[in-house]
Amino acid sequence: MPKPSDLLQGTLDLLILKTLAREPLHGWGIAKKILALSGDVLSVQQGSLYPALHRLEQQGWIEADWRDTELGRPAKFYSMTKEGREQLGRELETWHRLSSAVGLVLKKA
Amino acid sequence: MRTAQRFRIWRNRVRAIVRKERLDQDLDQELAFHLEQLTAENIADGMSPREAHEAARRAFGNISSVAEESRDQRRMNWLHDAKQDLGYGWRMLRGNLRFTVVAAASLALGIGANTAILSALDTAFRGDLPLPDSKHLVLIRAVPLQNPENVSNSTVPDYLAWKERVRSYSNLGLSIANFQDLSMTEDGAPPERITGQAVTLSLLQTLGVAPVLGRVFTEEEASVDAPARVIILSHRLWQRRFRGDPSIVHREIRMDGRWLTIIGVMPEGFWYPHPAVDYWVPLGMTAAQKQASGRLFAVTARLKDGIPRERADAELGLISTQLQREFPEREGSWSARTQPIREQWFGWLRQPLLMLEGAGLLILMIACANVATLLVARATARRSEFAMRAALGAGHGRIFRQLLAESVLLSSIGGMLGLGVAWLVLKLLNGTQPPPGGIALPSMTLNPAVFALALLIALLCGLTFGILPAFTGLAGAKSLHEQSGKPGRERVRGSLVAAQVGLALILLIGSGLLVQSLQHLVDEDRGYEPEGLLTFEFRIPQGEYLKQAESFHGMPAAEARPPTATMQRVYDRLSSLPGVTSIGGISQPIVNGILVPTFAVMREDHPAPETGSEREALLANYFIITPNLLATLRGKIVHGRDITADDTASSPWVAIINESAARRYWPGEDPISQRFMLDAAEGERQRVVIGVVHDITTNATEGPHRPAVYTSYLQQPEVYRGFNGNMFGQMVFALRSPGDVSRLIPAARQAVAEVDPNHPISNVASIVWWGGFVRINRGLYFLVLGTFAFVATLLATMGIYGVTAYAVSQRTREIAIRMSVGARESEIGLLLCRRAMMLIGIGLGGGLVGAWMFAGLLRTQMWRMTTDDPLTFIAAAIFLAIVALIATLLPARKATQVNPSVALRSE
Repeated sequence: MPKPSDLLQGTLDLLILKTLAREPLHGWGIAKKILALSGDVLSVQQGSLYPALHRLEQQGWIEADWRDTELGRPAKFYSMTKEGREQLGRELETWHRLSSAVGLVLKKA
Repeated sequence: MRTAQRFRIWRNRVRAIVRKERLDQDLDQELAFHLEQLTAENIADGMSPREAHEAARRAFGNISSVAEESRDQRRMNWLHDAKQDLGYGWRMLRGNLRFTVVAAASLALGIGANTAILSALDTAFRGDLPLPDSKHLVLIRAVPLQNPENVSNSTVPDYLAWKERVRSYSNLGLSIANFQDLSMTEDGAPPERITGQAVTLSLLQTLGVAPVLGRVFTEEEASVDAPARVIILSHRLWQRRFRGDPSIVHREIRMDGRWLTIIGVMPEGFWYPHPAVDYWVPLGMTAAQKQASGRLFAVTARLKDGIPRERADAELGLISTQLQREFPEREGSWSARTQPIREQWFGWLRQPLLMLEGAGLLILMIACANVATLLVARATARRSEFAMRAALGAGHGRIFRQLLAESVLLSSIGGMLGLGVAWLVLKLLNGTQPPPGGIALPSMTLNPAVFALALLIALLCGLTFGILPAFTGLAGAKSLHEQSGKPGRERVRGSLVAAQVGLALILLIGSGLLVQSLQHLVDEDRGYEPEGLLTFEFRIPQGEYLKQAESFHGMPAAEARPPTATMQRVYDRLSSLPGVTSIGGISQPIVNGILVPTFAVMREDHPAPETGSEREALLANYFIITPNLLATLRGKIVHGRDITADDTASSPWVAIINESAARRYWPGEDPISQRFMLDAAEGERQRVVIGVVHDITTNATEGPHRPAVYTSYLQQPEVYRGFNGNMFGQMVFALRSPGDVSRLIPAARQAVAEVDPNHPISNVASIVWWGGFVRINRGLYFLVLGTFAFVATLLATMGIYGVTAYAVSQRTREIAIRMSVGARESEIGLLLCRRAMMLIGIGLGGGLVGAWMFAGLLRTQMWRMTTDDPLTFIAAAIFLAIVALIATLLPARKATQVNPSVALRSE
């Protein structure tokens, strides 16, 4: 299982944004969802997750409010802003370009 | 859209500061929630609550460090960045210490000089005058049609005519200088000479200033022929001489031997028309004066609200034409115009300040060009750095900010030093002496707005030249490979350097011309030796020897009984002072006398002049002297002999004339033994020329010498009826002694007091009449311009050096290859220097043209300024060319001395 440091910072931002694109979630939920969607490969550590969330919030790409969970416990939920959606588009594009380039190299080399 | 995001970011930033505690609490709760979830998950996996909690803590890691790192995200990143940028900037500046020092110093000079000079200009031409509603106050000056630049005071009839006919003014008043001796007062204060003004009531009304104590005089008190014996004191005289005595009004003081009643004290800080005035007395006009043509009176007027000066001038012109028709004899060659008071007071400062400002702007331009050169060069050198940083994810904004930080740092250092420079220049400016009639500026202070402007200019320059090239560089530097300089940027750099050379040349030539004129001034043949002379004035009040009489030739005249006996006693007593090598007296200050009497010189064998202009053409300055005066001054008698004690009232009346007079009245003839009359007055007799003296400079700032006539004080009428009768009662004594002449002052004072205890000596000076103004001021110009020229040359040299050094560094490999295939050093040198030499050539050409124009400006503002001296132009250009060539050759030589194989391997 890769260590968190192996996750490039930009990639973590991309993952968080993508996760939040569907529904607002709290930090715990985001980590759980990334883990589940990656087939238990990408385990995001708290030490990376929360600074990343706060940075994205500061940039205005996500915003936060306190809501109750299904169990009635208040938690800080993050949701995506309009600008965040645009940023996600840009990051996805960059990602696709990079991964296909890397793919090409791996295939041809 | 982007605005919305920017707004959100700013809101977040503000919130991060304003609601810090709330956000920190949120963060703690958020992390606690996460921990709870972990624990709950562990319990669900079958751990005991205690174990589950422990395991969660372990899995979570260091909570406080996570919290800390999260908090960091919302700290103000840009503040952090700014600090970092400034740090980088500082390192960059320190790494290029030579550049930084020169750039900061030149910026400091540019900013400082401009701040100081513009502040002074602001004070002189925009600041408040110490008079109510001063923008409506003007002087009305008489304009001689032949020489309209040389405006003069006005006659009484002019004033009366204007007062009656003009409609543009709400009021106008008349004033004339007045000096009186204030006698010893009962409290024992010694007698002293004080300076005042005789004024009409309308003048005080025009000025619109009321006394703080007592009253102004009434119309009756200023009545024709017999003005009342009343006096208004300045606040300063009241404080100084009468210790601010509140019961001063109605007190009587003795002035020039007459008792005057103090009727008022003017407010503190009020003065008119110059700061040395200590009292105002009523100006009574005699019937004769009402017809007189003496242009001795200042006319001050207040424009009606809403009347522009142009309209007032147009009206004055119209009235002048009327007057020219009505009184062709008196007014035929005169017109009139208004002059703002500010212009009369501070006009003398306009040209010098504008010239200095011109030089200041040049140096600021050079400084900016220099900074720009550096920044452009830096940008070129750093293009790969920027490309690298951009590739690593630095935004354009970040790179922009760093360049901004560098420019700001440099400008701030320059600005800070500039404050010091400004202070120094202001100190120098405050030391300049006004010419007669002008007024020293009230102490000039630094104008913060001006300083901010100069700083802004420097900053903008840094930004323009620092950032634009960096960005064009960024745009062009998509790939990290591109290394060589772009031709476009080279052109910018080249033209900047050429501009620096040109500007430096202008300053060099300008200061060269100034040095020369200063030198001329020092070496100048003044016709006498001012060094080592002590001068002071002895004056007998007019009341003791003069009374107003009917007019003479239609001019106001007086009947004088020249106090020759008293003068002779004073002169004899002074002559016997121990330690005095030589002493003489003259009726007017030798130089810069304000009212030197002039009389027409009428040759015995020529018909008397008939018209006013014929008479005008024969006028000569007239001086009454004692024997030994010319010897004391060390004037040169070129023909004939000096006046001696043997030339007495009973021997034939004689005169000495100066060379200008000899040329004027006896062209091509020997003037010795020629006879002439002065059209002075009744009582004057025919005189014979016994000597010709080399021209003595009488005015430090004006044109060529005027004819002058000197006569003996012993050969004067017993009863004199005419004008300028006051010339008999005053004598400026000049005393020569080896060593420090000022040690003789107490003895001279004592000697005069022994002869005449009531009349003090005044205006004691070791001869500085001359000097003050012209020499100090030109010295100042020289100092400022010289410094500028030096710095400019230095900067231009460094610019040239930089260009060549850069070119060399770009072509190291090429040079090595050429060397290794056998090129000679001189060929390589030429190759490298060609471009620099072209830049130098362009700069020198432009500079010569600019300097020629600058010299024109200098000429208009300083009399006897040498401006068409080709030698200075050529010498300065050659000097600059040589310096610049050396700066070119140094790096080129270095390049050719490098071992080719080393150079080739270096890339």
